[in-house]
Amino acid sequence: MEAGFIWAVVIGMALANYMTRFPSIALFSRVSLPEPFMRWLSFIPASVMGALVALELFRPGGEFIDSAASPHLWAGLLTALAYRLTHSFLGATMVGMIAFVMLRSLFGQ
Amino acid sequence: MGFPIFLGYMPVGAVFGIVATESGFSTTQAIICSATALAGAGQFIALTQMNGGASLLAVLLATTIVNLRYVLFGASIAQHLKELGTTRQAALAFTLTDETFAVNTNDCRAGSATAWSMFGVGLIAWIGWVLGTAIGALSRDAIGDPSRWGLEFAMPAMFAALFVALAENRRHLAIGVLAGFIALALPAMSAIGIVVSDTLFIIVPSVVAALIGTMLFPKERVR
Repeated sequence: MEAGFIWAVVIGMALANYMTRFPSIALFSRVSLPEPFMRWLSFIPASVMGALVALELFRPGGEFIDSAASPHLWAGLLTALAYRLTHSFLGATMVGMIAFVMLRSLFGQ
Repeated sequence: MGFPIFLGYMPVGAVFGIVATESGFSTTQAIICSATALAGAGQFIALTQMNGGASLLAVLLATTIVNLRYVLFGASIAQHLKELGTTRQAALAFTLTDETFAVNTNDCRAGSATAWSMFGVGLIAWIGWVLGTAIGALSRDAIGDPSRWGLEFAMPAMFAALFVALAENRRHLAIGVLAGFIALALPAMSAIGIVVSDTLFIIVPSVVAALIGTMLFPKERVR
């Protein structure tokens, strides 16, 4: 690949990604939105995380898990439980990573 | 609060550094790309497109579609940023990602977020991503496969914890679970011949599940 093309991509990506981020913040912080739209927005965080978690735990690496012996699934559930009990992101993330390594070894993967 | 994000971004950033330099990026280009785009999946999809011989427009379109969810995040978090001036909003927008959005939303709802705390979360995330990219690009032969340390699970683990944090009541939990089912149903539909682009696996479930939540729970308190 030519260096000029790569630079064009780098600059274009910076602009394109910023354009997905800033205008909506600038716009929606200034206008008063109808109540149903606000209610819809309030469900967005849990919805986004629900979709992300489901894909990471049940379809890691773009492939559906094919047995219950899945380190992703169980380590994810343990992480969620750890957060529920401790309310610590760092603690829960560490529990998840350690559980993942141990389960991966246990399941022979 | 931002440290788990740092922990999650470093290895994935390193993988980007490795793959980008293997695809023909110089170390400088890889680092500047991560430092200016901070786009996670958007950067990986761009590499895939470039390696497939796509045009500049096609590459930029792909990264934009993958990260269209930032528009949703922006609209959502904007409700907590009404007091900030344009400059501060512009700076915070630069570091808006899945993880900073979730952590900052959680802090805003808990009443513990300030402009500085949100900048801090964004800065730590940015440092983790850029530093990871630099390490990957500079030492790709020495690192080998970063997944052997289990670091690949840092981000999924963080998502799982953030989901519990953001599902603040049973209604939000139910809608989050519904979004998860929809997210899994989309790729599964290929079994019956309906192929949905994987760039839509997050945005479609989020939009649809939140819409169902809005209709099912008309008395839900907005905050």
